Amino acid sequence: MQARIGLPQGLLYYQYGAVWERFFRELGSEVIVSGETTRETLDAGSVLDEICLPAKVYYGHTAKLYHQVDYLFVPRVISVQKGQYTCPKIIGMPDMLRTNIKALPPIIDIDVNLRQSSRNLYQSVTTVGKMVGKNAITSMAAWYKAWTQRDQPSTCLTNAGQQPSVALIGHPYLIYDRQMSMSVMNKLQQMGLTVLTPEMVDSRTANQAASILGKKIFWSSSHHLAGAALALMTGRNPVKGIIFMTCFACGPDALIGELIAQRASSLNIPCMHLSIDEHTAEAGFITRLEAFTDMLTRRWRQ
Amino acid sequence: MIVAFPHMGHLHIVLKELFNGFGCQVMTPPPVSKRTLELGAKYSPETVCLPFKMTLGNFIEVLEQGADTLVTCGGVGPCRLGYYSEVQKGILEQLGYQFNMVTVEPDLFDVIGKLRQMTVGKNWREIYCSFQQAGAKMGALDVIEQQLNIIRPRELMPGSADRIGVQAVQAIDHARSVNEVKAIERSVLGELKRLQQKPEFKPLKIGLVGEIYVMLEPFINQELERRMGQMGVEVHKTMYLTDYVRTHLLRKREYLDHYKVLSALAKPYLGHYVGGHGLKSIARTIQMGQQAYDGVIQAYPFTCMPEVIAKNILPQVSEDLDIPVLTLAYDEQSGEAGIMTRLEAFVDLLKYRRQRKAAAQ
Repeated sequence: MQARIGLPQGLLYYQYGAVWERFFRELGSEVIVSGETTRETLDAGSVLDEICLPAKVYYGHTAKLYHQVDYLFVPRVISVQKGQYTCPKIIGMPDMLRTNIKALPPIIDIDVNLRQSSRNLYQSVTTVGKMVGKNAITSMAAWYKAWTQRDQPSTCLTNAGQQPSVALIGHPYLIYDRQMSMSVMNKLQQMGLTVLTPEMVDSRTANQAASILGKKIFWSSSHHLAGAALALMTGRNPVKGIIFMTCFACGPDALIGELIAQRASSLNIPCMHLSIDEHTAEAGFITRLEAFTDMLTRRWRQ
Repeated sequence: MIVAFPHMGHLHIVLKELFNGFGCQVMTPPPVSKRTLELGAKYSPETVCLPFKMTLGNFIEVLEQGADTLVTCGGVGPCRLGYYSEVQKGILEQLGYQFNMVTVEPDLFDVIGKLRQMTVGKNWREIYCSFQQAGAKMGALDVIEQQLNIIRPRELMPGSADRIGVQAVQAIDHARSVNEVKAIERSVLGELKRLQQKPEFKPLKIGLVGEIYVMLEPFINQELERRMGQMGVEVHKTMYLTDYVRTHLLRKREYLDHYKVLSALAKPYLGHYVGGHGLKSIARTIQMGQQAYDGVIQAYPFTCMPEVIAKNILPQVSEDLDIPVLTLAYDEQSGEAGIMTRLEAFVDLLKYRRQRKAAAQ
C-alpha cells in the first residue's frame, strides 16, 4: 500500500515544497498538501502562544492535515547553508507540534543540518527513504531528480521605467501566502507599482550586496532578505521604495528590518515597515499601502 | 580610551576588575534605571527583545558621559544576541555618537586579537592575573547570592540577610587581591549563617529557569528572587554568571558533560538546540520535577525566540512530571503589581498543593 505523506503548506514549504513533493512521488508515496491558508487555519494555530504568525499558521495546517495521512513530513531544518541557521522556531517546530497535538501520526522529522558540511543532506535523504521503505540508491536518485527539476526562480531586475518600482521584502512564507499577506502583491500591482521580491534576486547578487554588512547574518533566509534588499537599493536601477513586511514577534526580522531601514534612510529611499498579525484588519492595511504608493508615485513623477 | 560595557547583574564588578587589570580606564554605566529602559526602548526596533533595549540604553547613557570604547559580545546564532552589536552600532551612529565598538566573538583567535588591542603594553602574566582576580570576584559574588536565596525565606528579621548582601557586594567591588576576596567571602558566609532563623520552617522550593539576562538583572525581573524569598520561598536559580562563563567561554569538561546530560533529558520534548537557553529551561524543569521541587518559574524577555519555544513545550512537561510551571515574559511595560499578583497566586497554589499532599499521606 502506498504511504500517504502529509506536507503542511507553511514555512519552508514555499522554498522547498515542490522538491519534497516530487521526491516523495518519485519514491512512490502519495503526497497530500494541506493547501492554501484559510481563516480556519489561522484560528486553529492560536493554540500556540506568543509565537509568530507563520508558526501558528504552520500549526493550523498540521491540525487540518494530520487525520488524513500516515506520516507527516516536518523535517527539522536546522541549517541549509554552511555557518548559518534557519530560525529557531523552525528548528523547534516538530517538538512544538508533538507536544501540542495529541494522537499525531508518526512525524518524519529528520535533521537537515548543513551547518558544518553539506554532505549531511545525503544522510537525511536516505534516512527518509528508509522510513518509507526504499533503499539508499533509490532515494538518492529520487532526490536528484526532484532537485534538478525544481523551478528556478525567475531573476528579472530589468524593469522598464513605466511604473515606479517597489521592493517588497519579506519571508516567502509570508508574502506568498495570500491569506496572511492579504494578497499584498496584487494590491500593490493594482495600485500601479512594479513589485520586486527577494526571490527575484539571485543568491550571488544578494551575497555580494550583503558583504558590506559589518557582520554576516547567521539566519540564511534573513541573510538573503537583507542582501536582496541592499542589492535592490543599490543596483543599477534602484527601487523607488521599500516595503518591509514582517510578522509581529518575528525574531530575526526585528533586527534585519532595522538594518534595512538604516541603509534605506542613508540612501534616501522611503522605507515602510508593515507588521501584521492575526488581528490586522484589511482596511487599515490598504490605507497604509495607498498612502505609501501615493507618496512614491508623487516622488517618482517629480 | 575609556572602556565601557553593558550591565547584567553583577557583571560590571567583574568586568571593571578585568579591564582595570588590563590597564584601561573604565567607566561603569550608571545603574540600570527607568531612564535606561526608556532611552533604549525609544531607539530600538519595537519587537526586539528586552536585553537589546536595555544594553542600548546603557550604551547611550555611558556615551553621554564620555566613554569612547564599547565592549560587547557577539555570537553565531540562532539567538538574536549574536547580531545585537551590529544593529546597535548602526543606531548609535545615527544618533551621532563617536565611538569604537569592540565585539568579542566566541572564538579563541578573535578573543586573543581583541585582547591584544585592549591590553597594549601588558604582558601575558599580568593579563592572566587580572583574569584570576576578576574570576575570584565573580565566584564570590555568585556563592553569596546563592546563600542569600537560601537564608532569605528562613530569616527571623526580614531584610537582615539583604543588608549583609549589599555590604558584601561593595566590599568585593573594592577588594584588591584574590586573597582579600576569599576572606570577604568567608566572613560574609559566616555572618549569614549566624543570622537568627525561624525554627522548624520548611520553605517552598522553587526553581528559576529561563533567559540569562532576565534571570540575572534584578531591575528587569523586578527583584524576583528577593520577593520570592520574602514570601517564604527558597529560590534555586539555574543560571549564574559563573555557570555561563564556565560552560560557554571556558568550555570546562564537567560543564560540557552536564550539558550532555541535560540535552538527553530534554530529548523527548525538544530534540535539538534552539539557541539561548531554551533547551536548558526544559531539561532543568524535568530535573526539578524529578527532584520533587514545589514549582518552577520560567522568566524571559517577551519575544525571546528560544524561550518561546520552551514555553510552548513546558505545559506538557509540567503535566508529565506533575510540577506547576509559571511563565513570566518581561518587557518594558511589565508592571510591578501584575507580576506580584501572579507570584502570589502561584505561591498560594503551591502551598495548597503541599498541604493536600501532606493530608493525603
